[in-house]
Amino acid sequence: MANPQIAIGGPPPTADRTLRKPARSGRRRRSRLVVLGCQIALILVLLGLWQLAVDHGLVSAFLYGSPATIFAGLMTTVNDGTIWNDTWLTGSETLAGFVLGNVIGTAIGLSLWYSRFVSRLVQPFIMALGSIPIVALAPIAIIWFGTGFASKVAMATLSVVVVSLMISYKGATGVEPDQINLMRSLGASKHQIFALLVVPSSFTDIFAGLKLTVGLALIGAIIGEFMSSTAGLGHQIFKAGSLYAIGQVFAELVITVALALALSGAVMRLEKWLLPWRHDLR
Amino acid sequence: MPAAHADAFRDLEQDVLIQVNGLGKAFDVDDGTTMEIIRSISFSLGRGEIVSIVGPSGCGKTTLLNLLCGLLPPSRGSVLWHGQPLDGAPSRVGYMLQKDLLLPWRTAIQNVMLGLQVKGIPKAERRDRAFALLEQLGLGKFADHYPSTLSGGMRQRVALARTMAPDPEVLLLDEPFSALDFQTKLLIERDTSRLVRGQGRSLLLITHDVEEAVGISDRVIVLSQRPCTVITEHRITLAGDRSDMVLMREADGFGRYVRQIWAELDIH
Repeated sequence: MANPQIAIGGPPPTADRTLRKPARSGRRRRSRLVVLGCQIALILVLLGLWQLAVDHGLVSAFLYGSPATIFAGLMTTVNDGTIWNDTWLTGSETLAGFVLGNVIGTAIGLSLWYSRFVSRLVQPFIMALGSIPIVALAPIAIIWFGTGFASKVAMATLSVVVVSLMISYKGATGVEPDQINLMRSLGASKHQIFALLVVPSSFTDIFAGLKLTVGLALIGAIIGEFMSSTAGLGHQIFKAGSLYAIGQVFAELVITVALALALSGAVMRLEKWLLPWRHDLR
Repeated sequence: MPAAHADAFRDLEQDVLIQVNGLGKAFDVDDGTTMEIIRSISFSLGRGEIVSIVGPSGCGKTTLLNLLCGLLPPSRGSVLWHGQPLDGAPSRVGYMLQKDLLLPWRTAIQNVMLGLQVKGIPKAERRDRAFALLEQLGLGKFADHYPSTLSGGMRQRVALARTMAPDPEVLLLDEPFSALDFQTKLLIERDTSRLVRGQGRSLLLITHDVEEAVGISDRVIVLSQRPCTVITEHRITLAGDRSDMVLMREADGFGRYVRQIWAELDIH
């Protein structure tokens, strides 16, 4: 929830915020740079130690890879252009599943608010669906949707939909009863209460859910690619692993992590833009 | 009955907005016993009147409010609005609680417009009405601020404007100012009093703050501990501008009313 009362009886904190902004944000930026510098240093030291251990024969490069082979692997994907194809493919599978899963999940989750009876009726089925490991659904997804793009989207959607449904249902039913009584006292119909109160109030939970489900969608897409595929990051990881090309596996993992970070960064941007009243996000 | 009497009687009927007769409420508890919250309450609220109900905490004031607006069925007695039993929620009633219940995704003015939007009033008109109310409460500059950037007192003023915007005939307020600091409370009590008296509305205020009740009301109804009944009813007559809460606290008789009600409340 948004901060309910920032300053009781005092002047509005916005005035005060604009006054102090330059000094405070400057200091904050500096400390952020220091942290970032330390993080980069930490990575470089660890990679250096790893490389040293491999060079001195303490660690097998064949079994554990080395920073040099990872870098070489990355350069290969850049040089032959597969990095862009694979990232684009996996990224679009993830995004398609993410959007589909959230739209379907949110639509069902919110509409369950309309009827306590229906929601109680379907609850055990939803729980059952949610408890199935997504991997176990992969064979069905391939039989139904083929070995191409559609089955990966189906896997990504399946990983998202139940979680999204549960989050939005919880958001919808979590609306304060006093708020609902207030709407009633203003003469609002059930539909008006839904549109003006329940949907926007669930948005906070739904957007918090988006950060979670974008990661789930990526997992679903990669599992789909593991099962049967001709391209994509999951395909490359699986292929490199079968060939014992550990450096290549790590290189593809690095790309996957970069994709995951980019996607969750984009969702956070979206959240800030869609929730302008959440001053705690700024 | 002579005709003149009948007319007077009808006028009287029309001027009583809420009539509560021998109202009682008991709840069934899980272990099979019943818990009596309200034994018997009778009172009325006339047009243009400000009536406060004070009682010790936990005496069932909120239950009473829920009975009044038909959210709960009574176990005994009746609630009449305009002389009629309730059929659904009463119309032209504004509620305000201790929690301001502002919607965080709506700016101050959008919160004030909520009731007008529900009623389907055109956008330009609802904006004008909401802005006029905010101006009256000294919040014109903050119309486009989100509640999270407003202080507690300002938020409660926005809630007051939201309650007033649909032009209610009766206001039911349940401890609306109890979370505010003393100074803010006096000012918002003044604003409430002006908005109510200035436009001939009626106000029923449920509170545990005896000074607030005496300062603002025409009548104060004192309730007993649970199961509650009406102990006494005081008609408050104080000289001066009734909406000036600081002046009222110094008015002749204010202290006497407060002491007497405190004694009757019998709080140990």
